[in-house]
Amino acid sequence: MSHLGDRLSALVDGELDGAELDRAHAHLASCEQCRAEAAELRTLKAQLRGLTDGAPAEDAMTRRLIAMTGPGGPLPSRRLQRSARKDSAEKSSARKSAARKNPASRNPGGRQEPAPPGTRRHRLARRRRTLVLSTVTLVVGLGAAAFTIGGGGQAAPGPRITPPVEMYSVEHAIDTGSVPFPAPAGGLDAQSAAP
Amino acid sequence: MLAAAAAVAVAVPGFLISACSSQSGGGGDTAMQVSPASAEASQTREPSRRDQAVTSTASATTVSHHTSSPRAIQLLAQAAQAAIVTAYQGDEVATHWINGTESVLVSDIWHISGGQTVIQTLDAGTTANRQYLSADNDGQAPEGALGVTLPLVQLMENHYVVAYAGPGSADDRTAQIIEAWRADGSLAARFWLDDTTKLPLEREIYDGSSHIISRDEFVDVQFADQVSVANQADQAARAQARAPAAAQGPWTDPLTPGQLLTLRAAGWHVPAQLPGGLTLFTGAQTTTSTGTVLDLGYSDGLAEVSVFEQRGKLADKLTGWRKTTVGGHQVFVAEPDQRSLTWSTKGMVYTVMADAPSPAVDAAVGALPHDQPPGFWKRMSRGMTRLAALINPFH
Repeated sequence: MSHLGDRLSALVDGELDGAELDRAHAHLASCEQCRAEAAELRTLKAQLRGLTDGAPAEDAMTRRLIAMTGPGGPLPSRRLQRSARKDSAEKSSARKSAARKNPASRNPGGRQEPAPPGTRRHRLARRRRTLVLSTVTLVVGLGAAAFTIGGGGQAAPGPRITPPVEMYSVEHAIDTGSVPFPAPAGGLDAQSAAP
Repeated sequence: MLAAAAAVAVAVPGFLISACSSQSGGGGDTAMQVSPASAEASQTREPSRRDQAVTSTASATTVSHHTSSPRAIQLLAQAAQAAIVTAYQGDEVATHWINGTESVLVSDIWHISGGQTVIQTLDAGTTANRQYLSADNDGQAPEGALGVTLPLVQLMENHYVVAYAGPGSADDRTAQIIEAWRADGSLAARFWLDDTTKLPLEREIYDGSSHIISRDEFVDVQFADQVSVANQADQAARAQARAPAAAQGPWTDPLTPGQLLTLRAAGWHVPAQLPGGLTLFTGAQTTTSTGTVLDLGYSDGLAEVSVFEQRGKLADKLTGWRKTTVGGHQVFVAEPDQRSLTWSTKGMVYTVMADAPSPAVDAAVGALPHDQPPGFWKRMSRGMTRLAALINPFH
């Protein structure tokens, strides 16, 4: 016996009549599979009907879409966006990674809401954060380099000198009536005359 | 002639001292505390007959420690003279403690009457073997032994209470013991002088807490009467052959106060004193391949600091020197003895050699010129300029 196929949904929708309706009922009486399928279709139909009950279908769909994006209001004003940008790079990246892991979680800071992934707003926000991070890193790096290079003494005129310790030690010993002590290990006694 | 040389040797530094504001530590009404045992408590040392002799006689001299004893000063002056005129040879063992680190030098010394000394030093713990020839035949720059020279004896009289502490022994020879006390009652130094020749046989120096910081002693010393004349001449000839060729010009005679003032006016740094009562007592110059070097000697009779100055800047690479910080200033210290420090500032290289307690050395280094660290914004602006010069090849 062949199953009802498309005629099953027509039956559930009440579109069959006459001899076809009789034949369908006769088949359902002997086919458990089609009976189960018909019951599923009826349940689904009832659920779909329940969604649209009491409200226009358009509003319900909009509400469902909004609920799927999580809590929060409409996009904040531009002033809030600027203040959010002034946060430290680490804070924004930490929030970004937290938002990625749990998009539906409540934002404890209450600051700029992380944009949903994949949206244009998300891409713009990420680009902005990257730019800020790069700028801050560049400024800090330049400052640190300048501070490091700026240290040390100023260039002085005169020859480059390695103190002739052995010679000094002998003179010191004469002045103090003592024994000269050895020069630094591996040190040179001669002076370099490189300008 | 030697007597005249000795007189000059005392007079010249005397002029320098009188030109400075030296502290008068010789007098005082404070009673002296005798603590010979505590002076050696920090170092393990077998008690000798000498120590017992000192202990037994110390109490007898406690009461009189208010001014220097003329007898003690006379003995020290004789010791300084003996170090010049007496021909002797022996081994000198010099042990120094710096910051808890002990360094030992063993030297063979030949001294010929008239001022020529040859010293062959073996650094204990290494295989280094160096020879020095210090020849002062004219006697203008007097030598000494174990730190006893005529100018230093005079400085000691000005800064310490010098007392005679009775007989003792050193190097198995009968000796006279001289002690130098500080105004605060702590023992600063003790000398053992050979009873026969008055040559210093041993010297110990203590810091303000009565810890020994240096001991110099002769071992197996022999005098001219024990060594044949031929042997002396032979040793002198061999020593002369072994002596290294002079790499630099000789040092000048001790500079007069007028010459030192002229040098100061010419831009050399010539302080009259260094912290801790170290007074300028000698100065000399020499000429090297890289310019003139000025040597200034500071002392209070026991602690000695030599400051060498030369126009220029330190070489980029200093082998055998280690960068360190002394008194907040960046300097280089020589390894391993740590008795030489060097740095450069404003076109002058300073090298300090010291036989003094660490606090005195730190204070001396701090009192000499150093580069001032630039302020934050000046450092930033200087760094930016240098960065720009690196980036811009046409700068």
